[in-house]
Parts: sequence; structure tokens; C-alpha cells
Amino acid sequence: MRTKRGKQVWTAFILLLTFIMLLTACGGGAGNTTTNEPSPTAAEGEEGEGGAAEGDTALAKAMNGEYKGKKVTMFGPFTDADEVKFNESIKAFEEQTGIDISYEGSKEFEATISVRVNGGNAPDIADFPQPGLLKGFVKDGKVVDVKTFLSDEYLKKQYNQSWLDMGTMAGPSGDVMAGVWARSSVKSLVWYNKKAFEEAGYTVPATWDELMALTEQIAKDGDPAWSIGIESGTATGWPATDWMEDIMLRTTSPENYDKWVAGELPFTDPIVKNAAQKMSDIWFNEDYVYGGRKSIATTSFGDAVKPLFDNPPKAWLHRQAGFITTFFPEGLTADDYDWFPLPPIDEQYGQPALISGDIYSMFNDRPEVRAVMEFFTTGESLKTWIQSGGVTAPMNDADPSWYANDQERRMAEFIQQADAIRFDGSDLMPGAVGAGTFWKGMTDYVSGTVDLDTALEEIQAGWK
Amino acid sequence: MRGRKGMRRSKWLVNTVLAIICVIWTIPTLGLLVSSFRPAADILATGWWNVLPHRDWQTTEQLQLPKDTDLRQPIEVSGATYTDDQLRAGVVADGERLIWENRRARTINVQEKSWTFISRFTTQNYETVLGGKTYSITMPDGSTKTEKGSGMSRSFWNTVAVTVPATVIPIFIASFAAYAFAWLRFPGRKTLFVVIIALLVVPLQVALIPILRDYTSLGLNGTYFGIWLAHTAFGLPLITYFMYTSISQLPKDLFESAFMDGATNFTIFSRLILPLSVPALASISIFQFLWVWNDYLVSLIFLGSQPEVQVLSMNIANLVGSKGNDWHLLTAAAFVSMLMPLAVFFALQKYFVRGLLGGSVKG
Repeated sequence: MRTKRGKQVWTAFILLLTFIMLLTACGGGAGNTTTNEPSPTAAEGEEGEGGAAEGDTALAKAMNGEYKGKKVTMFGPFTDADEVKFNESIKAFEEQTGIDISYEGSKEFEATISVRVNGGNAPDIADFPQPGLLKGFVKDGKVVDVKTFLSDEYLKKQYNQSWLDMGTMAGPSGDVMAGVWARSSVKSLVWYNKKAFEEAGYTVPATWDELMALTEQIAKDGDPAWSIGIESGTATGWPATDWMEDIMLRTTSPENYDKWVAGELPFTDPIVKNAAQKMSDIWFNEDYVYGGRKSIATTSFGDAVKPLFDNPPKAWLHRQAGFITTFFPEGLTADDYDWFPLPPIDEQYGQPALISGDIYSMFNDRPEVRAVMEFFTTGESLKTWIQSGGVTAPMNDADPSWYANDQERRMAEFIQQADAIRFDGSDLMPGAVGAGTFWKGMTDYVSGTVDLDTALEEIQAGWK
Repeated sequence: MRGRKGMRRSKWLVNTVLAIICVIWTIPTLGLLVSSFRPAADILATGWWNVLPHRDWQTTEQLQLPKDTDLRQPIEVSGATYTDDQLRAGVVADGERLIWENRRARTINVQEKSWTFISRFTTQNYETVLGGKTYSITMPDGSTKTEKGSGMSRSFWNTVAVTVPATVIPIFIASFAAYAFAWLRFPGRKTLFVVIIALLVVPLQVALIPILRDYTSLGLNGTYFGIWLAHTAFGLPLITYFMYTSISQLPKDLFESAFMDGATNFTIFSRLILPLSVPALASISIFQFLWVWNDYLVSLIFLGSQPEVQVLSMNIANLVGSKGNDWHLLTAAAFVSMLMPLAVFFALQKYFVRGLLGGSVKG
């Protein structure tokens, strides 16, 4: 009896195993056939748009359907909502050209991409939110120079010079254009609760002094002005580095900022120390920060914005990049919030803008990959994403009318009008500093375990 | 008599200590379970233990201070003066607590302690995790469409497809190997066995890039077959060793008499060894199953996170969103992903302790 039953279990088990193996084998096969099948919509697109696309660039050829059925793999950090929005924004292109852009998003992009590239399994296109990481691959000659198939004039037409400068990196034999900028985000924004702000009779400050006066006014009225949180798991401290970078841009010249980012201006320099002290004036004043200094290091950056929208607001101002709207409490509309640029501190440096962005780099040189890369230099590639909100286009041909609301449109204008644009410094520094000692040093300083001088020395030690 | 009493007492002591350890061990899981049924805003505001009845401050009345009260001076509230810091943290006087309700409006809550508990629960977290999130996207023509993200079911079946063969294949191979190491005499047996034991201490991380290179040239990246092979290879040393300790302890006479009766090695293995080592097989299956089911690193490298092959652990990691904004979903996702390992464990648990002991007590 027992053995019989045992036999039955074994048979059932082996059947299950065979079933799974069959299932997965079939699944793989089905996947292959569908990708090779030209979809009927692609054929329609060819007929409809065939005449429109002209010229001999890869993109024009793709639009004529020359690469139909080809597959381009992409790897990047977009997951969740971003992934859906990205896939939506490339759908029209895929239908028209018949190229299948297969996007893979991973939370562990930064860690995985090195393994993939070194293991010879590089994606055709990778999406780097941190150009500092890309620099290493460019130096090893793993990345295809975009200039080999896109002309200087074309790139200059599509991007402002500062974007092109930021995309130029040192390769094994001279500078190369390491990729194309595909989406950007503005960081120098101070968010506020529009309705409450107006009701309380406050005005948007245009200078640093006015900002400090407003902070003091709010404190007198009974609330802390700022809500600040820098907790972010293993990345705790990054919002503090953004503050530092923003203040650096406002207290010293862009040239000094570049030197600082390149490691030529040490953290222990009085210029950097001065910026940190400016920040401390707000951060360490118990009347100015919601929850006081001790809560900064333990509050998650995403939760820090929420007190602004309590009723009544528990805090009034929050400095964070444009993406923070995803963390706003549900049900908020564009009428409820607004932003103003972090005001200039020193008149002579004007109104600078701190930005970040994603650079798409190419690891495999095939005609269809070129076509997709060229597509990403057009504003059209971001259109539905811009309309859905949460992204600013770095390309010149993105139409301002696409933006979903006034706040986002003003971000795009803000970048265009800024006196200096600089990329998030910690993303440009080598990982040991930008994603290491800088985060940690700032966290130690904020939580009060070390004083400013020790913290700055600690950060500087990462350069060695 | 005394001896028995002493033994009973020591047993009682051991049980108490074990019970305490169990409770401490389970509390975080319990907290996670409670949190998984609470709305995100609530999780942020109060701890999960507040769902239990407890005494807490409840507002009984509100005091309105003059609007022009200077908050940086001592503040007078119904006869007594307090500092702003005291009123922020709450100051207790005669069993009543004074705390700011709204500093801007200069209102103060007068609170008394009373019994209370939180009863706001939701299944929203589970619905989102199982059914997928919804995203709204504005189309080029200005219309808005809602896109539903994939739920966990796809990745659940992917994980089953990865885990079952990745558990069976290595155990199958390792049992053969263990039999050979234990009962067959062949040259180089000891050396080979030592090599396998030595492989136990090699961290699998060092093999990632070389194997990935080979997989790239063989075209195995992102395929189920590739990940089965990877898990098999990484699991083999431990499983072989485990099966060896169990098989080598079976009585020798058994095989000798079987040989006498003309049984081949294969017959001995399939008719004698396998049935006799069911407890060991079951417990190492649980180990390997849990390891593969919870694995993130190996699937991240060799399988990737394309939706058609994405496993649960990766799906869960992606659930929190690019910026970690949906962290509250992790609680529910953790429990959903726990179901399968629990089911396997309880199905095989009667063998588990027997198998664990196998190899530990010689005799």
C-alpha cells in the first residue's frame, strides 16, 4: 500500500517536472516566433509614413521599415511606473519601424551592468542615471562613440552645448560622445503647498535673504519652514549632497564647481566649507526644520515632503528634484502645489540650475541600434512620457505645450534660462566618493556624530 | 525520585527558554503581518502594536491661546507657564497632557489617557500586489488611458519553473555521486571527494563573471536551462556532502546481501538507497528549494528581469518603484511569496528533523 502510494507520488512528480520543462521550452519557442513575425501594424505604418521619412540616416531607414523584425535590447534602472511610461513612449516608434525594443528594468542596475558588460553580455543600449559609472566603460573602450553616426551639427541642433559637454568623456583614444541624453530632471526646486502658502500671505522669495526672512517669518508664525529627510536605505545622505551642490553653485563659480566635481578642489577647501555652513544655517536651527536636526537623518526622503500637505501644513518648504511629485499624497492636483527655484545667494553667480538626467549609451554597433539611438535624440521619443508627467526633456525639439501642467513646463523653461547648468556632482564623482564617503560624511555631520571639519576630511578621504 | 524531579524541572526550564526565543523570533513577522493589512499612511504614523488595546492620550478639549502669543517666550496656559519645547513634546499636569494641536493657530489639546485601539485595516496592499498596479498615461491625443501592471501570478509561475527543476536536478545527480563516494571503490575517490568538500567554501560570487562569459558564448543567458544549470552547480557540493553522510551510514550488510542475490549497483541504488534515504532527500530538498525560491543574485545575473522570465524575488524588488515610493507593498508581497515555501515545508516537515539529525549522530 505504502510503496504503491509512493510510486504514484513519484509518477506525479516526474509528470510535473516534464510538464514544466515542456512548458518552458514551448514558451521560449513562442517568444522567438513572435519577435520575428512582422506585425500587421508595422506594415501599415510603412505604407502610411513611407514618404514622410527622407534622407539616409539610420532613423530614416528604420522609418522606412528597413529593420523590420530586428530586436534591440535595452537595460536600465526604470521599473514600475517609469517602465510603463517608457514602454508607452516607444510604442509608436516600434509599430512604425517594426523594431522590437526589449526593455529590461532592474533595481540593481548599477551593480548588474558591470557584471553584464564584463561577462560579454552587454545590452545594445544601457541607460545610465549616473554618468560617473559610464565613465569607466568609456575609458575601457566598451562604448560606441555616438559621433560615428550622428553629425556634430545634428547633435548641436538637438541639444544645448552644456548637455553635449556633459556627454563627452575620455575614451581610450581621445574624447568620445558617450551617449545621448534622453531625459532630465531639475533639482534646484523648492516645493510648497500653493493654497496654504497664498492663504498665509507669504510671497515667493527671489533672493537668499528673502528666503531666510521667509523661513524666520514662518517660524515666528508657529511652524518650522523646512521639511528635510535624507534617509534612503543604503543611499542615505544623497539629498544632503544635492543641497551641498545647489549651494556650491550659488556661492562659487561654475569653474570651481567643475574642479570640485573633478576632485581638484578638495572638500576641505574653505569654499566647500562655506557652502556646508550655509546649509547648516537652515538645517541645524531647531525652529526651522520639522522635527529638528535629529529627525533629518532618520526621515525618508520620500516621506519628508508629506508634512507640507497635512491640514494644516506642519512644514512649508521642501527642496527636492521634480520627481518628488510621485511621493505627494494621493489625490493632489496641480492646483495644490507649486515650486520656486532655490534663490541665488551671491549675485554674481546668477540663478544656476542643478540637474540630473539619463544618458543612453550604446554597447553594440548595429544599424538598428543606431536607428534607435537616433530616435532617442528626438523629443518625440519622450512625448507621451512628458504628457503623463514626471520628466523634463533635454532635447531642443520637445514642444513646451506637451507638458501636463504649468509646473513642469516652467521646469523646462527654468533649465533653458538658467545662468549656469551643472549636473548633479555626486553622480559625476567616482563611486567611492559620490556614492560613498559623500553620502556617509554628510549623514554623519547631520546626525551630529562628527563636526564639519572631520566630516569634510572623511569625504575627501574617498578620493584616495 | 529526586533525579526525575530534577529532570522535569530542567525540561520545564528548557521549554520556557525555547518559548521565549520563539516569541522573540516571531514578533517581527507578526508585526509585518499586521502592517501588511494597514494603509501606508497609518504605518508611517503609528506602530503596528497600536492595533492592540492600549492606553493612549485622547483629546478631551481644545484651548485657544491669544493669536499674538510669542512662541519663543514662556507660554501661559490656564494659569501655568510652559516653554514651547515642553508643549511640543507634551507636558503632563494632574493626569492631563497639554500638547500643541496647531502652533500656527495657537490651539492646544488637553488630553486624558483612555483605552483605545486602531481598527483601520485594508486589503488594498494585497489587491495591488496580486492584481498589479494601475498607471495612468496621457496619450498623444490628450486622452488618458489606464495601464494595468502585471501582477505576481506570472512571476510566481516563473519561479516555480525555475525552482522545481533547480531542486530536483542537483539532488538527483548528488544522490548518485554520494552513493558512489560512499560504497564504490574506484581510484581517486578520496581526492575527488576532498575537492567537492573544498568547493563548499568557494563563494559563488567569484564564479559569476566567468560563467556569464561562457553562457554568452553558448547563448544560455536569460534561459531557464541556464539558470537550472547554475543553481545545480552552485548547489551540488553541499547536497553531495549531505547525501554522502546519510548514505554512508546505511548498514553495509544490506548491500552485501543484495550483491549476493545478484543486484547491480543501479538496482541497489534505486531499490535500497533511495527508499532508505527519503528523510535526507526531503530535508535537503527543503533547503535547496528555499534557497532557490528566495534567490535574487543568481537569477539577477543569469536570468535577468525580462517580464517573461522574471522571478518573484525580482518582481517584489521592483514593486517598490524606481524611487522606493511604494515600500508599503513589500509587507504584503513578502507574505505572498512566503506561501509556497511554507507549503513545501509543512508538506515535508515530518522528515525534516529526522533528516537534519542524519549525519550528526554517528552510531
